[in-house]
Amino acid sequence: MSAETGSATGVASEGRTYIDQFPGEARLVRTAFWSSFVALGIGGLMGLVQVLHRADVLRVIDSTDYYAVLTLHGVLLALTFTIFFLVGIFTWAITTSLDRGLEDLRFTWAWYGLMAGGTALAAIPILGGLTDAVEMSASVLFTFYAPLQAHPLFYLGLALFVVGTWLAGLDWIRSYLAWRRENPDERIPLPTFMVLTTLGFWYLSSLGVALAVVVFLLPWSLGIWEQVNPLLTRTMFWYFGHPVVYFWLMPVYMMWYLMLPKVSGGKLFSDPLARVVFVLFLVLSTPTGIHHQYLDPGIAEGFKFIAMTNTMFLLLPSLLTAFTVVASMEHGARQRGGTGTFGWLRALPWRDPVFTGMALAGVMFAAAGFSGMVNAGMNINYLVHNTFWIVGHFHLTVGTAVALTFMAVTYWFLPQVSGKRLWNRSVALAQVVLWFVGMVLMSNAMHRGGLDSVPRRTAEPQYRGFEIEPTLGTMAELDAQIVLGGTILFVSLVLFLVVVVMTGLGDRVDDLPANEYAETLSGPEDAPLVLDNLKLWVGIAVVLVVLAYALPLAAIVDRGGLFGPGGSPFPVFVGCLEPTVSASVAFLGDHLPAAVSGWW
Amino acid sequence: MNVHTYEKVWLGAAMVLIVFFIASVTYGAIGAGVAMVDDSEETIDPDTLGEDDRFGDPRVEQVGDDEYEVYAVARTFVFQPDPIEVPEDSTVTFYITSGDVIHSFSVVGTNANVMVIPGEVATMTVEVDEPGEYGIVCNEYCGPGHHDMEGLLVVQPEDEFELEDDE
Amino acid sequence: MSSIEREIGHDEYDPVGTLALIGLYFLLLVVLWTFTYFVEFLGGDLTVVGTLL
Ligand code: HEM
Ligand SMILES: [Cu+2]
Ligand SMILES: [Cu+2]
Repeated sequence: MSAETGSATGVASEGRTYIDQFPGEARLVRTAFWSSFVALGIGGLMGLVQVLHRADVLRVIDSTDYYAVLTLHGVLLALTFTIFFLVGIFTWAITTSLDRGLEDLRFTWAWYGLMAGGTALAAIPILGGLTDAVEMSASVLFTFYAPLQAHPLFYLGLALFVVGTWLAGLDWIRSYLAWRRENPDERIPLPTFMVLTTLGFWYLSSLGVALAVVVFLLPWSLGIWEQVNPLLTRTMFWYFGHPVVYFWLMPVYMMWYLMLPKVSGGKLFSDPLARVVFVLFLVLSTPTGIHHQYLDPGIAEGFKFIAMTNTMFLLLPSLLTAFTVVASMEHGARQRGGTGTFGWLRALPWRDPVFTGMALAGVMFAAAGFSGMVNAGMNINYLVHNTFWIVGHFHLTVGTAVALTFMAVTYWFLPQVSGKRLWNRSVALAQVVLWFVGMVLMSNAMHRGGLDSVPRRTAEPQYRGFEIEPTLGTMAELDAQIVLGGTILFVSLVLFLVVVVMTGLGDRVDDLPANEYAETLSGPEDAPLVLDNLKLWVGIAVVLVVLAYALPLAAIVDRGGLFGPGGSPFPVFVGCLEPTVSASVAFLGDHLPAAVSGWW
Repeated sequence: MNVHTYEKVWLGAAMVLIVFFIASVTYGAIGAGVAMVDDSEETIDPDTLGEDDRFGDPRVEQVGDDEYEVYAVARTFVFQPDPIEVPEDSTVTFYITSGDVIHSFSVVGTNANVMVIPGEVATMTVEVDEPGEYGIVCNEYCGPGHHDMEGLLVVQPEDEFELEDDE
Repeated sequence: MSSIEREIGHDEYDPVGTLALIGLYFLLLVVLWTFTYFVEFLGGDLTVVGTLL
């Protein structure tokens, strides 16, 4: 049947804002958002430092310290900013769509505390890498590949952070189960469905990194193991490292499905297809991580090929999303009087920063789709692997599709969770447009530089024995674009923080719009029941993971042993510029016991 | 489940796109003969490279008429040997391993780009033709001096090429 | 929402604009991929070939 009138959203907000409905939960969401924005601010500042440093425009730090800065940028933006925002949105989604508060807010604050505490612990040694005053560091970048070794606090902090997210998931599942007991026959509301499917692959994949950290890296940094198998811990990292990008992306898709149609003035085109998309992500996002290791020795070509085909099929849910989301926007535009094949685009609410930010984020994600397809293409990885192309790619995905969507929806959420009016819509609008412009410049030049072999993760991509020559244009022109783009991005970021802070300083008002999300044109009653059978989908996901990973992992362990074919740890301490292996071992022997007793 | 006709059209187009990508990659592998770095080499202890036949003395060796092998080591923050010299119009197989952390061996402006992981030996075979010079960079972060890590690959004219005596 | 001029239900709505836009995106992807894969990559120097020895 078709839902001529659109199905009910299940929201009983009765015209109230989120903070009126759930004051306690609103406080948690607010706090999570603030944690996320602090990470965004500091991380963004580091981004500016990096851009200026690489282009040799302004070098405020030593090049040896560049990697501490980059570690901070990567960890704060890829993990802290994104995941704190996610727990805020997911808490909102669960409580709003089930129309019930969380079961026990003390538990909620406990997982928040664990996540915040873990982040703080990991940040200490990263910041330590920036000063010579403390002999602690963790300049291992957010991928922390062994045998580069960080201070134990770094690994401990990461582990606590991940455990915090696991408990957050339990909190939401608990709400869902309580709701289910009271509503045994109802369809899972779409937002809750999205949260649960995302959690499915989050548990599945983060287990890999948790094991890598807890079983190998943390004990190794404490001197309990003498060595680890670098290929094994790296493979375990990427087992998690690919799905984590969908962990960033799922709240974004949620916003594109739930909020974008609403702010466009329309309805979600299809609830059933939204469910199909999330199920596909649950099932397919984990057995693909080996696509980050196409150029790794020690992994057979066949396994790489399997990862490649899985990855290509993972394009499907994103391509479907593109259609559904644009169709929902078009629906809004036509309801607002838009006409013509392309003319309806003009009828969209371009003056609304929430809409414009999300729409521009979507445009950039479409561009990222192309560079992502290239990254997925196995043998073409020779052309782009670890070049600036990759950095250009993920500043379109996590750096824009995710970050810009988060900033845009903040302009809707902040009034909801604080009861205060958005400080200034025009500044907000300028902010999202500036981000788009800055990123077009920066990421375009990064992509081009990458095709000419400009390496990523490098403080001084200028060499003594040769020069990297672009096939088109000059390096100076590429650098100029990146510096200009990076600066515009930073300005945009400052504007964002100004709007957020000024909004926070405002007074409570009581004429804010109600807490609502989009209705659907084709509702859940059109979706086959099997879609809601989460146990089935999780089961299939597990089977696919076993198929994709059992053999490669067995081969790696078989070839190199659980603890590797040899090799000593390499603590990344700033200042030891020529650390020979023996010196670093001696260093470890001298300093580790002290360091350990320091925090134990 | 009612799916709009246009959406079905798009679903079909998306599948076509995916199959087209997979087909291109397969063509690259089979038709154009591009091989991926794989697990064909045994593992090796990075702490005792000095005692290894191949990596104890990083070098270029002739193994056939126009065939050469390069045994290269990446370590913080150098490539050995440096420069790597090979003659024009030859087939060169690189064997690369690391003496400490993860590096890369990436020949600037070309498709020769591989991760160098301690304990593993990366191999890749390329055809070189014209004489010329290529830069080599490490594009995986390997420590505080990572940006200083560079090398040179020199393709020499046939008549100037001479293997170094390594007696 | 106040700016809604008319209600359009599921059965009277054909997303032609979406189909057109996404069709253009499809063509763009095919062109860009073909160029990047077959020209930039396969046409490039020092391509790694199989050890058929
Ligand atoms: C002010 C805006 C930003 C600027 C100017 C900026 C700049 C940069 C630059 C130049 C790099 C490459 C450094 C190198 O490889 O040597 C980089 C890396 C990175 N950026 Fe950003 N960025 C910004 C915002 C973001 C955002 C919003 C995110 C994610 C939400 C993000 C995530 C990352 C990640 C994950 C890396 C990789 C770190 C690594 O290689 O370990 N960046 N950024
Ligand atoms: Cu990935
Ligand atoms: Cu390096």
